[in-house]
Amino acid sequence: MLAFFVLVPLAALILLNVPRKAVPAKAAAAVALVLCIAQAAVVIIRPWDVFVNGGPLNHYFAFAQNADPLSMVMLLTIAIVLFAAMLVAWDGFAAARQLFNFTSVLLIALIGMNGTSLVRDLFTLYVFLEVTAIASFILIAVARGRDALEGAFKYIVLSAVASALMVTGIAILLLAGGATDFATVAQAVRASAGHVYIRLAIGAFLCGLFIKGGLVPFHGWVPAAYSSAPAATSVILAGIGTKMSGIYALIRVTTSVFGLNPSVQQALLLIGAVSILVGAFAALGQKNLKWLLSYSSISQVGYIVLGLACGTPLGMLGAIFHFFNHAVLKSLLFVNSAALEDRVGSTDMDRMGGLGTRMPFTSVTASVGALSTAGVPPLSGFWSKLIIIIALWQAHFHVYAAIAIGASVLTLAYMLVMQRRIFFGTATDASAAVTETRFALVFSEVLLAAITVGIGIAIPFMPFALDTLKTVVAGIK
Amino acid sequence: MTPGQLLAINAVLLAAVVIAALWTIITARIVYAAVGLALTSATIAIVMFMLSSPVAGVFELSVCAGLIPAIFLSAISVARRMTATAETETARDQLKRFWPLPIIVVLVCIVLLVRTITFSGGMPGHAAPAATESAGQESNKPPTTQPPVVPPFVSGPAFPPLPIQAEQDVRTVFWSLRHMEIIGQIVILLAGAFAVVVLLKEPKNG
Amino acid sequence: MDSPSASSLFAIAAVLVFIAGLYGIIASRNLIRTLICVEMLAKAVTLFIITAGYFSNRIALAQTLAITVIIIEVAVTAVAVAVVLALFRHEKSIDATIVRNLKG
Repeated sequence: MLAFFVLVPLAALILLNVPRKAVPAKAAAAVALVLCIAQAAVVIIRPWDVFVNGGPLNHYFAFAQNADPLSMVMLLTIAIVLFAAMLVAWDGFAAARQLFNFTSVLLIALIGMNGTSLVRDLFTLYVFLEVTAIASFILIAVARGRDALEGAFKYIVLSAVASALMVTGIAILLLAGGATDFATVAQAVRASAGHVYIRLAIGAFLCGLFIKGGLVPFHGWVPAAYSSAPAATSVILAGIGTKMSGIYALIRVTTSVFGLNPSVQQALLLIGAVSILVGAFAALGQKNLKWLLSYSSISQVGYIVLGLACGTPLGMLGAIFHFFNHAVLKSLLFVNSAALEDRVGSTDMDRMGGLGTRMPFTSVTASVGALSTAGVPPLSGFWSKLIIIIALWQAHFHVYAAIAIGASVLTLAYMLVMQRRIFFGTATDASAAVTETRFALVFSEVLLAAITVGIGIAIPFMPFALDTLKTVVAGIK
Repeated sequence: MTPGQLLAINAVLLAAVVIAALWTIITARIVYAAVGLALTSATIAIVMFMLSSPVAGVFELSVCAGLIPAIFLSAISVARRMTATAETETARDQLKRFWPLPIIVVLVCIVLLVRTITFSGGMPGHAAPAATESAGQESNKPPTTQPPVVPPFVSGPAFPPLPIQAEQDVRTVFWSLRHMEIIGQIVILLAGAFAVVVLLKEPKNG
Repeated sequence: MDSPSASSLFAIAAVLVFIAGLYGIIASRNLIRTLICVEMLAKAVTLFIITAGYFSNRIALAQTLAITVIIIEVAVTAVAVAVVLALFRHEKSIDATIVRNLKG
């Protein structure tokens, strides 16, 4: 049954592309939307015990997968972000053929990310990360714009280096353990802890993940890739793409495989803190909206890594919660950016101004996104950041907690500046005549903002929600 | 063939691999680089045959020494047709950018070989005698950078029984035990095909 | 040849090819050469896998992994070459200085 998360999109992909008479683009897009809704529904409602690794298919196929609560949160996040991205793409492409191609490649990305969250073998993890990566390359380049092709090329080269590092690590671990599944590797690592080659292997594997996740000091490719990509692709990349590839994989291997030994913990704390600061400071000086949002992503991902590096259940809770929140928030902000680009014609903030009254939905939802990212109560971002900071404090990482709090102020600063430049102030020539953007974008904006606000308001009143999250944390192993 | 001879043959083959790789990267003309890639892959395939991996060796030979250089050569010829300017690299420019590389490679090689010979554990092997020998050696060395080679790299009964431990046939492992990866590879190949269509197909109305 | 130091030879060769490939990626001016250096990285990695499989008595598994890596490598190369050719259509040049635009 679990294999359906990978097989159903694959079946849809094949069925959409096989007919000799081309399937209309909007129909294909509708199919993708339905799949995303179905995935989210299945995770939330959980009919017929779908998350048991069994069922009729397993008699014929050896699908070594498992779905613990962490995987389920990931599946839900993937569904939400891809749904939003599909809406952005709905009428965002000039040619119908482009929309169809985008949909097909989005299905490939869906397969890759679903697979990543379900596998329990290091090498299979690598394979599905590559699937996601290839889908990302094509998604960036799908409109064949010149800058997008450049961004795609850089991403390809860096991703290839990261993959090479990861497989090198896997090879050494294969030598040590004789197999590549999580359990065997974990045992091999435990049995020979501290051996120089094991350390090298873990280091190489983690470096590969840091590159894929866009963490400092390997973050150079991130702003270029996010910004040069078409609007819908930016939503996917920033919302879930790099997070699945880098951060989810990081969470999975540090909890289930390598363990959080002190040197790894120190490295993660440092990288998290530096990412937060570098991202926040760099975002302050940006003139281009997408570049600002990209650096903001780097910064927020640092928070997730800090939460992970605590090593405590509360830290893990904060990390996973912030993962989900940031996926929703960044998707929201990039959808806003798509809306602005759609109407104003560029993402240069100098050309925007006074749009608050002209684009009411975009303005309000962008405010929600900005404030939640900055951690303003009672929005969802506040809660996850609070949990991370508390966890850091409890684990006696006072300096890092202080950095986290300080960076929140920075985040608020650049978010407010962004808001003021775009939505308040006087209108420029380019922005004087705009109206609210098209319905698909408005719908996804409102939906994502509603999720943020809903979770933010409801969390204190929903003890069962916190319990669910606690079982997520307890269930990881 | 004595173990020593075997080792010598492998050493020569590995040296050939490294030299071929260096030539591929340094050579001035891009067509030579593509051919060099084929050559490097061929030597690696021979190394694989020496390491009892014939299936992988055949794959490497046919795909990496055949298909991929073919892709590159066709890309180069298409690019030649489209390029308005002359070849972007002259031999002198190439030399200027790449002259440190052989030096770096030789230096690293020497450093690693020396470390291997003195630290007699080498890469962790699965033979217990080597482990104890180097463990004994470590005890009368002053505290250096290397932690002692711990015996855990021991094969056999020390490992819990693995499902593929007895499986020596590549075909069985590939087709029966790693189905998720087969799906992944199918999807990747589909994605590759999509990429070519999406990126290179000329739109019908120009 | 089953002594531990023998495996070091293979590992060292793979590391050297890896370093050469990395240097090539950083230093090369021609986009296609960059891709060839990326291929070199993949070669080094394949060598690592087969070495690890041989010296841990898991050649069947190692060959399976190596074949998978080769297949993935082919697909990535195809995508990368397609991107480069599409870039040519815009730029009419394969000089890598044109991709420096997005740095910064």
